[in-house]
Amino acid sequence: MGSAVLPTLRRKREVDAAIRDTLDKVLVLRFGRAADAACLQLDDVLAKSSWDISKFATIALVDMDSEEIQVYVDYFDITLVPATIFFFNAHHMKMDSGTPDHTKWIGSFSSKQDFIDVVEAVFRGAMKGKLIVSCPLPPERIPRFQLLFKDV
Amino acid sequence: MANLADSFLADLDDLSDNEAYPEEDNAEAAGADEDGDDDMLDLEALNYDDLDSVSKLQKTQRYIDIIQKVEGALEKNIDLSNQGFILEEDPEYQLIVDCNALSVDIENELIIIHNFIRDKYRLKFPELESLVHHPIDYARVVKKIGNEMDLTLVDLEGLLPSAVIMVVSVTASTTSGKPLSEENLVKTVEACDRALNLDAAKKKVLDFVEGRMGYIAPNLSAIAGSAVAAKLMGIAGGLGALAKMPACNVQLLGAKKKNLAGFSSATSQFRVGYLEHTEVFQSTPPALRTRACRLIAAKSTLAARIDSIRGDPTGKAGRNLLEEIRKKIEKWQEPPPAKLPKPLPVPDSEPKKKRGGRRLRKMKERYAVTDMMKLANRMQFGIPEESSLGDGLGEGYGMLGQAGSGRLRVSAAQNKLAAKVAKKFKEKSYGSSGATSGLTSSLAFTPVQGIELSNPQAHGNHLGSGTQSTYFSETGTFSKISRP
Repeated sequence: MGSAVLPTLRRKREVDAAIRDTLDKVLVLRFGRAADAACLQLDDVLAKSSWDISKFATIALVDMDSEEIQVYVDYFDITLVPATIFFFNAHHMKMDSGTPDHTKWIGSFSSKQDFIDVVEAVFRGAMKGKLIVSCPLPPERIPRFQLLFKDV
Repeated sequence: MANLADSFLADLDDLSDNEAYPEEDNAEAAGADEDGDDDMLDLEALNYDDLDSVSKLQKTQRYIDIIQKVEGALEKNIDLSNQGFILEEDPEYQLIVDCNALSVDIENELIIIHNFIRDKYRLKFPELESLVHHPIDYARVVKKIGNEMDLTLVDLEGLLPSAVIMVVSVTASTTSGKPLSEENLVKTVEACDRALNLDAAKKKVLDFVEGRMGYIAPNLSAIAGSAVAAKLMGIAGGLGALAKMPACNVQLLGAKKKNLAGFSSATSQFRVGYLEHTEVFQSTPPALRTRACRLIAAKSTLAARIDSIRGDPTGKAGRNLLEEIRKKIEKWQEPPPAKLPKPLPVPDSEPKKKRGGRRLRKMKERYAVTDMMKLANRMQFGIPEESSLGDGLGEGYGMLGQAGSGRLRVSAAQNKLAAKVAKKFKEKSYGSSGATSGLTSSLAFTPVQGIELSNPQAHGNHLGSGTQSTYFSETGTFSKISRP
């Protein structure tokens, strides 16, 4: 599942360890399934940029179908696949990209450079002490989605 | 060409310090002089009839002696285990050194004879000299053709490559030459015979030296091969002399001086001599040849030095050096290591490089906040400011143009440079004392008091008192100057 380069986390303690032990680097957790097409595209972008941003970010894939991970799926309220969540020094970093949900990034990135820009913005904001940053991408490149609230 | 070779030999004579070969040196010098004289005579009278006055080498006693000894040695196949002798005193070694010198002399002699044959044969077949360059081949062809006018009756197979034979036959059919007289023909053939004899003798001598080279200089012949080693020794004048030379000289031993005569020297070959014919050199790719020849020259000099003191009679050191040379050449040929892509640097970890200097300052002045803007940004307490559209609409003017300020009409912003210029003007008192610009007038019309006279000295200090220190002011002067 995922690519050969990026580690896949299936147990809760693995995710815990990742969040806890990544110091002074942005931790990018992708929640998704191997079967989904958008997920695969996102995985491809993540894999290609993992070496380039290795100095200030680490990337990991989290398998949503595993039972232990459902805790996180509920906690972060992940419904649409794929979802990417950013952490810095065990703080959850939010990003305002003009979408209704600031806590995560839904969907894939159109190019490697877009992803690197987003991670850099998260890093800069985090180094300044902010917990929410604004997205550097223009609105055309941000995938849009509809949030359903209790099937309304 | 003979003159060049002679002068080179003469130079090497000066180089060699060995006192053990005084007679050899004399003989060589004598031979060189002889050849030099003959060459001069040859130039004066081109159609010299007598071959013997042109080429004397075969008649000299020295030549005959050495050839005899060489043939004797070749037949005898001397036992090589007499290593008890010190190298210099070994009679075999002496013979080899003589052979080296002789082979050089034979080469010079061959050149002279070739010229002789060429001059004689020019009457018959002038184009042949430009078609067949090598002197020995030329002599053979001349001998075969003789006085024949029709080349189809002459069989040149085996003497020349077939393409050249074809060209020669075609040229011969349209040649402008006439058959030679009988005596000329006889002399020419005799000269050809002599040339071929000399060539055979040279081959014998070289073979002999080559055969013994493994005994004389095993390390050097391990690196360069016996033929090249023999030639190097010959032209250097002995193993001792070769060992004393620096490696850069060894590299150039035997280098042919190209006579360019109008051709560009931009494509000329780099400087390498006999070492060009070594196997190692021939097998290196052309791009690396300059570096390789320097390396080979260095290592073969080392080997020659080992041989001159007989440090390693088995030749093992030479083989090791050869191995080193091969390894180095291989290493040069391997591709550079692949470049790893670098990860991006951490954002904002490297501070931006700020520039400074006059140019930047001038550029920043264009966007600096001027005094006018400063005044407009401030307001006095209790006094409503004027605005561009009146009644509080539009942009406020702040303290600009208000009664309390030192300025009545604010002149255009003075930048620092203008301030310096103004100061200079002040000192030279070009303008009226105190006025900083020719356009400001001391009279002004104000809304409250009508016409007002202003004190030009006071204008700078008002701004300074509140916001700017006049200590470092460009226009400010001493506040109190007491003259004694």
